[in-house]
Formats: sequence, structure tokens, C-alpha cells
Amino acid sequence: MATRAHFEKSCEIGVFSKLTNTYCLTAIGASENFYSVFESELAETIPVIHTSLAGCRIIGTLCVGNRHGLIVPSSATDQELQHIRNCLPDAVKVQRVEERLSALGNVVACNDYVALVHPDLDVETEEIIADTLRVEVFRQTIAGNVIVGNYCAFNNAGGLVHPRTNTNDLDELSSLLQVPLAAGTVNRGSDAIGAGLVVNDWCAFCGMDTTSTELSVIESIFKISGAQPSAITGHLRDTLVDT
Amino acid sequence: MRLVKCYFCSSTIYPGHGIQFVRNDNKVFKFCRAKCHKAFKKHRNPRKVRWTKAFRKSAGKELAIDSTFEFERNRNIPVKYNRELWNKSLEAIKRVQEIKMKRQHQYVKNRLKANTAALKEADYEEVKQNIHILEEPKVKKEAKIKRATQVIQEIDMDTD
Repeated sequence: MATRAHFEKSCEIGVFSKLTNTYCLTAIGASENFYSVFESELAETIPVIHTSLAGCRIIGTLCVGNRHGLIVPSSATDQELQHIRNCLPDAVKVQRVEERLSALGNVVACNDYVALVHPDLDVETEEIIADTLRVEVFRQTIAGNVIVGNYCAFNNAGGLVHPRTNTNDLDELSSLLQVPLAAGTVNRGSDAIGAGLVVNDWCAFCGMDTTSTELSVIESIFKISGAQPSAITGHLRDTLVDT
Repeated sequence: MRLVKCYFCSSTIYPGHGIQFVRNDNKVFKFCRAKCHKAFKKHRNPRKVRWTKAFRKSAGKELAIDSTFEFERNRNIPVKYNRELWNKSLEAIKRVQEIKMKRQHQYVKNRLKANTAALKEADYEEVKQNIHILEEPKVKKEAKIKRATQVIQEIDMDTD
């Protein structure tokens, strides 16, 4: 079930949270509402943790992770790193990387098997991503945008990418990721998919502005409600995909 | 709170002190005070400026290569909190520090010891060359005593 949420009136919830199959990180806000939305959905199955990174609330933008691990930028302080390590399950590896592109959430998009990264990312960081997250890494752009983490979101079942991705790119990405992809929007037409949406294998959260059409696309492509992704290629396609 | 080292002089920077410079390749330079910051802006090489730790180490004046330096470094993979482990680590830190100080002192001592023979030789030579400075006061003093005893004897003779 996809849920709408907002962080202090901002619909870009992907910026303020990080959701994976084994844990969920949320930013420390003025009110607990944002945290409660995640807690009510997830608390029974996975730990939901408050954290900051480098003293900032934009944790979704700064870190990248999946079921196997979490990678935080070098700006993260020792205390934050220790707090995250203490709260996450032992099976999840936590690592800090020295990377020039410190907004890892923007430059890396991943599920449990593959990761798309910014073409300028360090080779060393790429290796750390491959080792820690146990993924295959591809340097890619999405619709000409290098910040792949911002313009796509995918789980192990499907993915949503920037609405202006052309069909050739979509096919290429789809074959790299080995999951069906759809071009779409969140938050009433926003193309920043990664910023407006967090998703794992069984639930998704998106910004409060997200329309019900967008919500149904999200649910079907990520196979969250048991709907088939064929709906997108069928009747939803004309209204959503701008090609 | 992390106590970092100054890029230039390697002294500890406490919270609220110093200034930091971030180069456009994301390298962060931290300076403990304006002196170090200015030296950096003048493109001084810390290894060639005599008052820095980097100079002292590269010139062999202080212990530079040692296993005790291996303990203190940035760790990117955290370890889960464990009270026992932390207590042990704290003990270990103290012990390592003790050993480190001992080795550093010994290093300086050894370095200076190598020079003692040469210094002694130089002192000997100096004394040999300038012996007259030492001799003269002795001669003068003896003469003075001699004169004094003579005067005393004369006085004694007069009174008798």
C-alpha cells in the first residue's frame, strides 16, 4: 500500500527519509508526524530510526543503502555513525566513504541487486558500493541527468524514472536493472522521482501532493498492492508517459 | 566532539578554534590559528618550515615511524557499542599513549647521545685554547693571598 506523507509541509519526502527492506531512516523534524507515518506502517517488521547526517535533515539525499548495507558520506560525524550502527541490525553493513560527490543519495540509485551511479563517481567509491551493498554497479544517466538518484526510484520488482526518459533509454535501463520500468511523475507532476518517493519491496511512501493516478502507477509498477505492471503499458500509458 | 589536527603545524584544534578551508576538490584543510592559515596562503610547505611537526618528523628530529602511530586513525566502519569493548579500548588508549611517550623520549635521548662525544671533544678543545682565561684569575688570587699574609705578618711584627 502506498502512503502519502509530508515532512514539515514539504512533499519531497525522499529527501528526508531512506527506506530499504531491512531498515528505515527518518530525519529529525520539529514534529513526530513524519516519523509516525513510517512507524505505523513499518515498526512491526523493520526498525525505523531517527537520525541526522552531518547535522543535516536531508538524510535521504546524503546516504544510500539497501538490504545489505548503508553508505554515508564523509561529512557524517562519528556520533551519527555510531548511532546508526547501534540502531541498525547487525547484518547491515555501515560504512563511511570519502567521496567528492558527497550527496550519495543523489548520485546513486540502487535496489538489492543493481545500482546506477553518477558517471563521475570515484572508482574507489564504486568498489565500496559494490562490496558493501552487494550490487552490480552501472554508470548511467537518466534522461540526460547525471544525478540518477534524484530522477529514479526502484525496488526489486520495478522502477519509476524521469518522465522525459525516451523509450530507448527506458529499454536500456530496464535491461540493466532486470526489472520493468515506467516513466512517470510524483507529487502532481514533479519529475524528481527519487526525491518525492521512497519505496521498498512491500510498501511505498510519496509526497502529499501525489495524485491518485500517480499513486496507482506507483502501486502497480512497484508491485505493492499486487496489481500488474501491465496496467501502465495499457490504459494508464496515454495519460502519463510523455513521449 | 572530534579534536582534529592542524594541517600546517599538527597541533590539536579544540572546538571553537581555528578556521577551515575547503578546496574545490573537496579536500578540507583545518588550521589551528591565523599563523598557520597565513603560512598556508603563502604556499609554505609545512615540511620545510622549521617550527612544524611535519618538519621535525621529516628531518628525523622526532619519532616518525612507529607502531604506536597505527592506532590513531580515521575509521570508516563503525563497531557496535559494547560496554566491555569500550572499557578495554579506553585502557588500551592509555597504555598506548604511555608507550608512545616513552619511545618518543627515548628517541630524542638516543639522537642527542650520538652527539655527546663530539660535544665533549669540542669542550676540551675550547678549554685548551682559552686556558689563559682560567689561569689568570688563579694567579691573581694567589698573589692577593700572598700580599695579604705579608701585610698581616708586618702588623704582627709591629705589635710585638
